[in-house]
Amino acid sequence: MPTLPILGLITFVPLAGAVLIAVLPSKEQNLIRRTALGTSLAAWVLSLLLLVTYSLGQAGFQFKEAADWIPSFGIQFKLGVDGLSVLMVVLTTTLSWISILASFGPIKVRVKEYMISFLVLEVGMIGVFVALDLFLFYIFWELVLVPMYLIIGIWGGANRIYATTKFVLYTLVGSLLMLVAILATAFTYQAANGSWAGAFDYEKLQAFAAAGSFGHNFQLLAFLALFLAFAIKVPMFPFHTWLPDAHTEAPTAGSVILAGVLLKLGAYGLIRFAVPLYPFAAHTFAGPIIVLSLIAIVYGAVVSIVQPDLKRLIAYSSVSHMGFVTLGIFVFTATALQGAILQMLSHGLITGGLFLLVGVVYERTHDRSIAKMGGLAATMPLWSTVFGFFILASIGLPGLSGFVGEFLVFVGSFAFAPVIAVSSIIVMVLAATYLLWMFQRVAFGAVSDFLTGLGDHLTDMSRVELLTLAPLAALIVLFGLFPSLILDFLSPVQTFLAAAGAAVGG
Amino acid sequence: MNALLPLIPLLPLGGFLLTALLGRRYPDDAHRIAVWAVVASWLVASLVALMTLVHIAPFGPQGSGITLWSWIPAIGFRADMGLFADPLTACLLIVVTTIGMLVHVYSIGYMAHDPGRWRFFAYLNLFMFSMLLLVLADNFLLVFAGWELVGLCSYLLIGFWYPRRSAAVAAKKAFLVNRVGDMGFALGIMAIWTQLGTLNMQSVFAKFGAVPHEWQIAIAVLLLCGAVGKSAQFPLHVWLPDAMEGPTPVSALIHAATMVNAGVYLVARCNPIFGTASEVMVVVAAIGIFTAIMAASIAFTQTDIKRVLAYSTLSQLGYMFAALGVGAWTAAIFHLMSHGFFKGLLFLDSGSVIHSVGGEQDMRKMGGLARKIPTTYATMLIGSIAIAGVPPLAGFFSKDEILGGAFKNGFLWVWAIGFVVAGMTAFYMFRLMGMTFWGPSHVDPEVEHHIHESPRSMTGPLIVLAVPAVLLGLAVGFPPETGLLHQWLAPVFEHTIAAGGHAEAAYTFFGIDGALAIATTALVAIAIVLAWRLFGVEIPVLGLRSQPRPDQVRALSARRAMALLYRGSSNKWWFDDINNKVFVEWGGKLAAAAFWFDRTVIDGTVNGIGTVTAGAGMALRRVQTGRVQNYALGIALGLIVMAAGYLVISVTVR
Repeated sequence: MPTLPILGLITFVPLAGAVLIAVLPSKEQNLIRRTALGTSLAAWVLSLLLLVTYSLGQAGFQFKEAADWIPSFGIQFKLGVDGLSVLMVVLTTTLSWISILASFGPIKVRVKEYMISFLVLEVGMIGVFVALDLFLFYIFWELVLVPMYLIIGIWGGANRIYATTKFVLYTLVGSLLMLVAILATAFTYQAANGSWAGAFDYEKLQAFAAAGSFGHNFQLLAFLALFLAFAIKVPMFPFHTWLPDAHTEAPTAGSVILAGVLLKLGAYGLIRFAVPLYPFAAHTFAGPIIVLSLIAIVYGAVVSIVQPDLKRLIAYSSVSHMGFVTLGIFVFTATALQGAILQMLSHGLITGGLFLLVGVVYERTHDRSIAKMGGLAATMPLWSTVFGFFILASIGLPGLSGFVGEFLVFVGSFAFAPVIAVSSIIVMVLAATYLLWMFQRVAFGAVSDFLTGLGDHLTDMSRVELLTLAPLAALIVLFGLFPSLILDFLSPVQTFLAAAGAAVGG
Repeated sequence: MNALLPLIPLLPLGGFLLTALLGRRYPDDAHRIAVWAVVASWLVASLVALMTLVHIAPFGPQGSGITLWSWIPAIGFRADMGLFADPLTACLLIVVTTIGMLVHVYSIGYMAHDPGRWRFFAYLNLFMFSMLLLVLADNFLLVFAGWELVGLCSYLLIGFWYPRRSAAVAAKKAFLVNRVGDMGFALGIMAIWTQLGTLNMQSVFAKFGAVPHEWQIAIAVLLLCGAVGKSAQFPLHVWLPDAMEGPTPVSALIHAATMVNAGVYLVARCNPIFGTASEVMVVVAAIGIFTAIMAASIAFTQTDIKRVLAYSTLSQLGYMFAALGVGAWTAAIFHLMSHGFFKGLLFLDSGSVIHSVGGEQDMRKMGGLARKIPTTYATMLIGSIAIAGVPPLAGFFSKDEILGGAFKNGFLWVWAIGFVVAGMTAFYMFRLMGMTFWGPSHVDPEVEHHIHESPRSMTGPLIVLAVPAVLLGLAVGFPPETGLLHQWLAPVFEHTIAAGGHAEAAYTFFGIDGALAIATTALVAIAIVLAWRLFGVEIPVLGLRSQPRPDQVRALSARRAMALLYRGSSNKWWFDDINNKVFVEWGGKLAAAAFWFDRTVIDGTVNGIGTVTAGAGMALRRVQTGRVQNYALGIALGLIVMAAGYLVISVTVR
């Protein structure tokens, strides 16, 4: 077992599936679908294996694999995971198979291309979470962009070209800055050590940073570049406007992955790279970033209230919820950071579920406008019950996962400065306002004329649709009652805070 | 034996899960599971309460608990799944499970013809679980969890008839207004953790003296916010009257007898916290007594039978807050219990009335029902006498202790207002009785000959609830201030009372206490006589009979001095209109403005940059002239810029 290159396997199993599908004839749609699902399930099983074999108490990275890639610049193919990345990998593989299963019905054209894109997307996402070489990380990061560009641009809604172009250009601006920062970091390391060996190696760079060897001015510039890339991805206020457009136009599964995993890439980048490598800069900019996070939390919620479109509403709510993640990172307390990571996972499960549920209605009505809905509780009782459950989870009902994450961020922030918690606690009311008002208009009241007109098309959720949602709901309850299942993996929090704190003076 | 504690909430939780899973398949029978689950929970709860009150180990005056698992064991934070029962818990357990069980039984009949009956019972079971969790929790975060869950159940049950828009709106309103208070509660929990490093209530109380005084005040104020929301005190009282959109058993259980008491329970439970922050205690008393008189004044003019009872509930909860604020802790819990029983009774009675007249809730379309639904009438009369404070029924003793406590602890203004409210209570309750049961019938002739007494599953609980409404005071509250309840609760409150300094003077019947009691009783008697002169009375056994005088009522309310009061009362003092204007209208405009800002300014900038870039690309296309000289010039300029840039960077970055 120890010799099994499990990380490499998890990362490239989906790629193998994509290659396999590429040689299948296009008209074998069902075979293609099943191959894609089987592949993603295989990756999922492997990731579960990773989850159970990961040793909790141990510090540092585990399951490391390394091979020289471009030796003249010290670039390696280096993988490894700590508790944080294990959790993110499992989140990715879980949401991937669910998304692929949820695409069986809605995606009817170019199934082959769609499934290939999806599996390549999975490769990129997993790669980002397991890469321990900055150059490799960058490659995976950009790899995510291409299939998502296609998924929105080909299988998306009416306004898809505008949305996908905006998404890609916006993200590309950030990632180009990130490339500059990565190169500059490597150059600095090379200049200090006189050799390229380890110049892109995350562990070496982190040790270098922990010794306080990156100059302050350099840190400020490199951090800003990296931060911008990640902040766009999260997305933080005011870089968020690509998100509502992308979500609205993306097909259901695209939205699920976008909200469930892609936004987490940004948060992961901040925790893994931006703060530990440039701790001085992180502390210098913490104040403004906290303020931006608070704005995102409240502003995202306020704007959500008046959204006329179901997906757009959930998109803006993501801005608000992800604000907790960035807030939790930059107050630099263990409690808040654990809360932030819990919130990353929980938001992936909850918002992923919400987008799936909107997809279920969209399949039947081909509409997402709240004004046209009404009375769905009478016509689709099962759907309404499940939708209500995910809405309550999103509101932060205790006993469900969302509560634990948000509350830990609140407590950690309160300990740092009470004013932070006081100024953002209003979101407790705002979140309930926009979600319950939406739920009331969609599910309660008399059945709307628009829905009545659909007649028999308005069937309740199917078994497959329920199957995509059941695991998410189960995990939301499980993590709400036993958050220790996640918290046990979060010993990297200590490493992070040590890294963030150690070099502040240096 | 401590393992009994988790059984109490888990039985109804199991009932909820089974009913919810099986309900769709067995819609006619699933509710039985829920009923039996609550009966079982009541048995266990009664056993635990009894053991606690008569001191059978491990339960007893100091309380006993059990930790199930470590709920949130984070680095730098900790909260457990732990339950705890002491005499205060025992009192609440008795009220919650007894009334809960009776309401379940009652609902079998009340909801018999509703196709969603199983769903109703599933929600009721979920509520029982949540409420019992709230009462039994041993730490603040778990109380908060129960707190939010009862709020959810309240939301689900108010909106039970969801096709009705008003029900859906009222449900949402209840949840949102409660959340306003919960913000304070949540911040209070954060403050407690930050100051003390624990959320376990007993540990917090033990260490609370060491907290800096400004934080003591802050924590008390923040917890009070939560209590004010849940117990519907001014200014967060607006959700409770609208909550009457829910089925009547819900109003009885959640919005009269149990959930709305949670705020009173929280403040009483945190008596060591509030005791050290005496500045806040005055606020508690002021909020309570203001709510009491404000709500009572609204109850005067409401015509919907349930709304009168809802405002009455607000008013009585105000009494309890006033009692807490003046330091009459036991009196507050006493009133909580007696009010739970008689108000639960009154609401179930009103449900029986509504049931008998085909769903009508407007008292102007009732009248003369006394002989047609005798059991309902008799039990409702008992409930009304009890709430009015006629000796020796339950309400007399508990209200008397509150007023006496206010007077003797030096809160004369609280006593004076409370005294007036006692008279008002008697008046509006007998106005309700008169309009509903006495005088000529105004029932729709179509409905008139269908009027029938409710089935036994409904009248049974009424009769059972009438017993404590009559006897509770004599049983646990007599002799006043030294009765059983005082002995039971002494271990919970004695510390705070001793620390507070005002050891209350002993009860003297031939002294101040007797004088106060007689004064109150006299006022109540006058109010009752006044009400039945105006609204008519007909008590055959006693040979009492009077005709209603709608002309006098109209003349009275039309008087110049009364007109404004009358308008204010019937418009609920315009609180809903103000809230609607400020939060719904202005808040909506603010949100719309934020969205405009997002699209025009933020996204406009992004798109602007995009357009400028695209435009620049079009413009720069002209640079591709194809002439070598131009390119050479470009290369030269580029080199210079790069060299300069390198110089600048190597100077600024080391």
